[in-house]
Amino acid sequence: MAHLVEQLIYGLTVGSIYALIALGYTMVYGVMKLINFAHGELFTLGAYFGFVFLVTLNWGGFFGPAIAIGLTVILVSGLVAMAGHLLERVAYRPLRHSDRLAAVVSALGASIFLQNVIMVVWGSRYRAFNASLLPTVVWQVGGQNIPLIRLFVFLVAVAVMLGLYLFINRTRLGLAIRAAAIDQGAAKLMGVDVSRVIAVVFIIGPALGGLAGLLVGIYYGQINFNMGQIYGLKAFTAAVIGGIGNIPGAMIGGLVLGLLETLGDAYISGAWKDAIAFVALILILVFRPTGILRERVAEKL
Amino acid sequence: MTGGELLLELKNLVVSYGGVEAVHGLSLKVHKGELVTILGANGAGKSTTLMAISGVVRPSGGEIHFQGRRIDVLKSHEVVALGITQSPEGRRVFGPMTVEENLKLGAFTRKGQDLEPDLKLVFELFPRLLERRYQMAGTLSGGEQQMLAIGRALMAQPKLLLLDEPSLGLAPLLVKSIFETIKGINESGVTIILVEQNARAALKLADRGYVLDVGHLVLEDKAEHLLNNPQVRDAYLGSR
Repeated sequence: MAHLVEQLIYGLTVGSIYALIALGYTMVYGVMKLINFAHGELFTLGAYFGFVFLVTLNWGGFFGPAIAIGLTVILVSGLVAMAGHLLERVAYRPLRHSDRLAAVVSALGASIFLQNVIMVVWGSRYRAFNASLLPTVVWQVGGQNIPLIRLFVFLVAVAVMLGLYLFINRTRLGLAIRAAAIDQGAAKLMGVDVSRVIAVVFIIGPALGGLAGLLVGIYYGQINFNMGQIYGLKAFTAAVIGGIGNIPGAMIGGLVLGLLETLGDAYISGAWKDAIAFVALILILVFRPTGILRERVAEKL
Repeated sequence: MTGGELLLELKNLVVSYGGVEAVHGLSLKVHKGELVTILGANGAGKSTTLMAISGVVRPSGGEIHFQGRRIDVLKSHEVVALGITQSPEGRRVFGPMTVEENLKLGAFTRKGQDLEPDLKLVFELFPRLLERRYQMAGTLSGGEQQMLAIGRALMAQPKLLLLDEPSLGLAPLLVKSIFETIKGINESGVTIILVEQNARAALKLADRGYVLDVGHLVLEDKAEHLLNNPQVRDAYLGSR
């Protein structure tokens, strides 16, 4: 237990990334009762857009780290949001009134399509994300190592989630999103334009997912065209652990999963990291299928 | 209060619901200021008719006109914006939201307007809701949820209020008070269509009534005539 604080911070960092991605799954599920299987690829897209700005175009050297990070965060979120909006228009909206299975198949197709587009454009090799924006500072607090970059990723993710939380709970549009997630028909009777809510959800979710991809690139320093698969799966797990469809649930689920994984990695075995995550999913599904925050789970896929 | 300006007209409305035709050619008129009730047994097509007026279900035939404008081609949020709101069957309040949030959602189409006077009005109508203002709607009793559903529908300042089974599952004493409130809302100038299985109470309140049977209009008359109509007495009012 020597490096417990260190591990906890690491767990929260990884967890906050899962949480960002999980929010996209949970918001879309909440309103549409659909798992957006292409969400992991939107995450990957965010990593590659970040790669273009920070590595290919070397904005860090050009603008200085602070402006480069700010600009990249905004642009990557915006571009992935546009991609998500387009995805909804092309792959989901035409199937809004069809069988649910049709939308699921379309989602899987979109996922494979996007993954291959990314591979064709940027290649199938791992790419080094050596943006070297942040100095490699490591603080020593009471014998525990706390790297700056870890805190940076965690704080960015938390700030964004806080913003989302306020948006959902304090604004008129946020109220409409929550209403549509609770009872779409009743929301319509209130005068909520549900199509517009769905469009907004397909902008916010991908923006957060894309941002997570960027953060993973900056944090781990390497990206790959199929990185969205495992992150998507983990984040989906986090969403289910928290209670899919529930926004605070996705945040909590992400952090819980990150902590479980990291602590398992450190104190049991690194080889068991993924197994621990999915055992947690199975246990939740068996013993508390509504998730930590008690939300109804997918009755149908 | 009949004879006023024509507010809503259904012309030969046909609605299919889940592949089954639920309403077969219903024609109906509602004038400004009226309280009209639609009666009929379960599955008579009453709720489907209201959902078609609200634009949630699209009719497969016929037309709906509101203030001279065809509305069956509009989306549900556009219908609400024109001034038609609904308190649906089963109340359908937003359980994980507070009473106040539910009421604010009712005024969703009134973007940027001051809602305080309307909140005050609803709380005067239903003082119980004021006590529970910051409580989750899901924790309210059935009667309180019904009050909330009606109050929520009033928040949009509707011209036409559609009430679907407001007495369903409520204690008799509460039913009486809800019906009195509905009368009061109507007298304050809101036109109302009331769908009810509690036919006697509805007819005592209403100006006119329509009786549906499996999607067909079988009777249409002044409420007091329907109350005394032997056919209606036998089928819907019991043998009292």
